[in-house]
Parts: sequence; C-alpha cells; structure tokens
Amino acid sequence: MSFKVIKSGFLSLIEDYGRFGFAQYGLCQSGVADEHAYCWANHLLENHFNDAILEITFGGCELKALTDSFIVVTGADLDFKIDGKTQPLWQVISIKSGDTLTWSVAKNGMRTYLAVKGGFQTDQLFNSRSVTLREQIGLQLMEEDELLSHANSSKVVQHSIPSHFLPDYKPDLTLRLLPSYQFDQFDQQQKETFFNQRYAISGASDRTGCRLEGQRIQNIPSTMISEGISYGSVEITTQGLPIILLKDRPTIGGYPKIGTVFSLDLAKLAQNQSGSTVSFELIDIETAQKERRDFNTFFAIN
Amino acid sequence: MAGENAIIIYFGDRVSSDLIEKISFYTQLLTDELAELIIDVVPSYTSLMVSYKLNLVNHDGFCQQVEQILLSKSVVSDSYSFKVIEIPVYYDVDVGLDLEDLLNYKNLSLAQFIEIHSSTKYLVYAIGFSPAFAFLGEVDERIRKPRLQNPRIKIPAGSVGIADNQTAVYPANSSGGWNIIGKTPMDLSLDNPENLTRFIVGDHVRFIPIDKQQYLSLGGLL
Repeated sequence: MSFKVIKSGFLSLIEDYGRFGFAQYGLCQSGVADEHAYCWANHLLENHFNDAILEITFGGCELKALTDSFIVVTGADLDFKIDGKTQPLWQVISIKSGDTLTWSVAKNGMRTYLAVKGGFQTDQLFNSRSVTLREQIGLQLMEEDELLSHANSSKVVQHSIPSHFLPDYKPDLTLRLLPSYQFDQFDQQQKETFFNQRYAISGASDRTGCRLEGQRIQNIPSTMISEGISYGSVEITTQGLPIILLKDRPTIGGYPKIGTVFSLDLAKLAQNQSGSTVSFELIDIETAQKERRDFNTFFAIN
Repeated sequence: MAGENAIIIYFGDRVSSDLIEKISFYTQLLTDELAELIIDVVPSYTSLMVSYKLNLVNHDGFCQQVEQILLSKSVVSDSYSFKVIEIPVYYDVDVGLDLEDLLNYKNLSLAQFIEIHSSTKYLVYAIGFSPAFAFLGEVDERIRKPRLQNPRIKIPAGSVGIADNQTAVYPANSSGGWNIIGKTPMDLSLDNPENLTRFIVGDHVRFIPIDKQQYLSLGGLL
C-alpha cells in the first residue's frame, strides 16, 4: 500500500509510456501528455522508462502516504507541498508514512507528474496501465482510492535534474512541423495562412486534441477518405482551423492534414493552457529522427 | 510520411472491396516480414499507416524495406485466412431507434428490409472511431440512408446502424449519428478484453436475423 486519495483533483490519471500494438483494432495510443517530464521523473528514480505515474492536471489533488517511499514530482509547478511545506520539483524526495502531499493551483505549466519508486501498480489492460477516458479504459482518480506501488526498500540515490535540462514552460511556443500527409495538396496561400500567424489555444482542448483558434484557412475540402492518424498530426477542419492530434486521438480520421508536429515539441505543448499561443515552422525528418533517437537513447526507451 | 516514425502507404484513391483485400494482404505481409521494426499498423479504406522503431531504422531505410516487400509479392488471396464472423441481430422498432423512419424513407416492409440487410456478406473496410468498431460494406442501395443530422448522445452497446453505404455494430455505449436498425445480444464490449481483436480489416461479417424470444434468451436487453 502506498497512497490514499483524499482529493482527486480536476483530472488525475494513471498513465505510462502508452499502449502499442493494438492500433489496427481501433485502440488509441494513450499514455502521458508530457513525455519529457514523465521520462525525467522515472529516470531520476532509476525506474523503468514505462513505469506508471500519476498525471495531475491543474491541481486540486491531495494524497496521504501510507508507507515510506521515494518519489519525484516533475512537470508543471502546481504548488506542490508536503504537510504544507513547499517542495522542490525534479529531484528525489523521501516521504514518510502519514505525510500529506498537495497540489493546489497551476503556477507555471498545467500538468505535473508524480512518480514513485518502482511505479504505480494498477491493473494492466492491453499491455498498458494508461487510463483512456474516451475509450472507457480505466477511471480517473477518485476519492478513497488507494494507489499501490512496489514495496521497495532498496537504497535510492537522491538524484536531481541537471539544471540545463530544466524546461522553461513558455506561454508562446513555436512547434516544429514535419511536412507529411497532404502537405503538398495545400496551396501557397493556404500554407501562408498557416505558417504566418500565431494561433491561440482553445479551451476546448484535451488529451485527444489541441484545438487552435485564429485566422481561418480558406477552401478546405469538406471530407476525405478516413486514414490512419499519427501522434501530432495537424488536421485542418472544414472551418479552416487546426487540431493537433494528441495521445488519446482515435486511430483513423477524415480531415486533411497539413503535417505532423515533432513529438518533443508536443511535450512542451502539454504544459500550455488555453489562451497561450503557438506558431509553426518546418523541420526535416533527419533532424527530427536524430533528436528523438538521442532522447530515446538517453532514457533507455526501446 | 505520416510522422517522425510513421509512414502512410496509399494503394489507390477509390474505395472498393478489391482494394481492401489488397491492403489487408499487405498489412499481414509487412507485419510478418518486419515484425521487429513495426510498432503499429493502421489499415483503412485506401491506405496503410505503419509506425516503426526509429532506434532501429531511419525513415529512408524503412521505406526501402517496405518497398522491397511490396514489390516482391503480389496479392495471393488465400495466403492469409480472413474470418467470417456471424452476428445475430434482432431487427425491430423495440431496439431499432431509426428503423421505422428508414422503412418509411425507403418504402419497405420490415421483412423486406431484414432480407436485404442480412443477405449481404459484409467486408470489414476499416476499424476505428472507437475500439473494435468495424466499418462494414457495402450496404445495398435499397436500404441506404445518410447519417442523422443531429447525432445521438447515447446509443446503447450492441446497436446496429447504417450510414450511407456502411453498416456497423456499436461495441460500447457511445454517441453517434448512424441510423439504428436493430441490436445484437452479443457482447462486443471491452468488458471482455478478447473482443478487441475480434475484427480485422479483410474479415467478413454476416448478420443473422433472430426474433424477440431468441434475442432475450441470448441475453439481449430491451
């Protein structure tokens, strides 16, 4: 036994690296929204890269520790405290049975990650512990839930993140876009509209997609034949506005796509609330693959 | 290209059963031949998306391997065995929320409608929208009807719907805009995790009409 949920918060979900191998049956990828913060949390605890964490969105969450353990909190600053005292993020903390952990309000970013030594031991479904509300797989955290983790008495090194790896969650992002899918079918004027503006993130965004508001791209065909949609692909709806498809997206969709946002930029996007802005610039496949491969190697993701 | 570790292959630009057979064949072939590199495959009406492990191969290398395999073998229809799945359906206004409208719209009797809908062997063209939701085609012209203008908030699990030339079973409770014409007592939901892999693109589905008593005895709910 490890934690008891006193307050569940706005939206708190157990997630891991994601659910793979079942897309052909319509099952979505799911998994953490911010891979950077997630991977650092597990890395600092010397966990496996796929260990399950708690993704807390916006805060309002309170947990009581039922056993001694080691934890790391990364991602957004949601005013994390233990027994009322502010705690550091991005480093291993030793907690004692009876400690109360709280996250109140978002001060910088919007999603925080609680990792525990050994990972949370919730039920696996289709090779993953990720909760996917849209597919009715698992449930969001509820009051009175008990979160189990591996009882682990092994010695833990009190790692913290080297400061140059600390992310800076800016409200205005530039997302790097691979020219993929129907990129070549958008004409010059449509591309100019897309690349030459800063879009505002809509409040209707969620783990399925990030909806953008701004100047509309004209003359978008109403529908196309549905096809597989990848993480980060950018649909342009019939109204001419982009939706960036995220971890809980369906497996197929029927809007034209102007490109695909590089995954590590999506990690940053996961910390941006409605009202902040994004723009797009192109990235080539070699650069994207090298950067992602370096990331995978560093965190032992295979 | 579909992403930093994904490609999409287009096999044609018109939807047809021949094209689906081709796509499903190559989906199986690639999955077998490149098992170590492939993360996921998503076959759909005219295309196949494949994601791969970029730690092991880069974009150009993967494309080359895929191309070689696609060129090496032409479709041999019986080299992979696709299933025929039988699904019992109770066609009645009790459970078919839009059945009456559809019969009026097409000027058909219930018996005629059942005969037409259940006499076709449907092909699985795509899976998506939600897990284990199989888009089946092709629906006979005599019973086609466009999607509802206002989608329903809640369609009960097991409902069978028609949207234009496609038909499908809703595996779980969900929202949706298809014309509901009946219901199966079969549990296709993920409450039984084995249901996830019940359909694959290239399989066939046959609907078997059942009466109210059979529907209830098979566990169907009204």
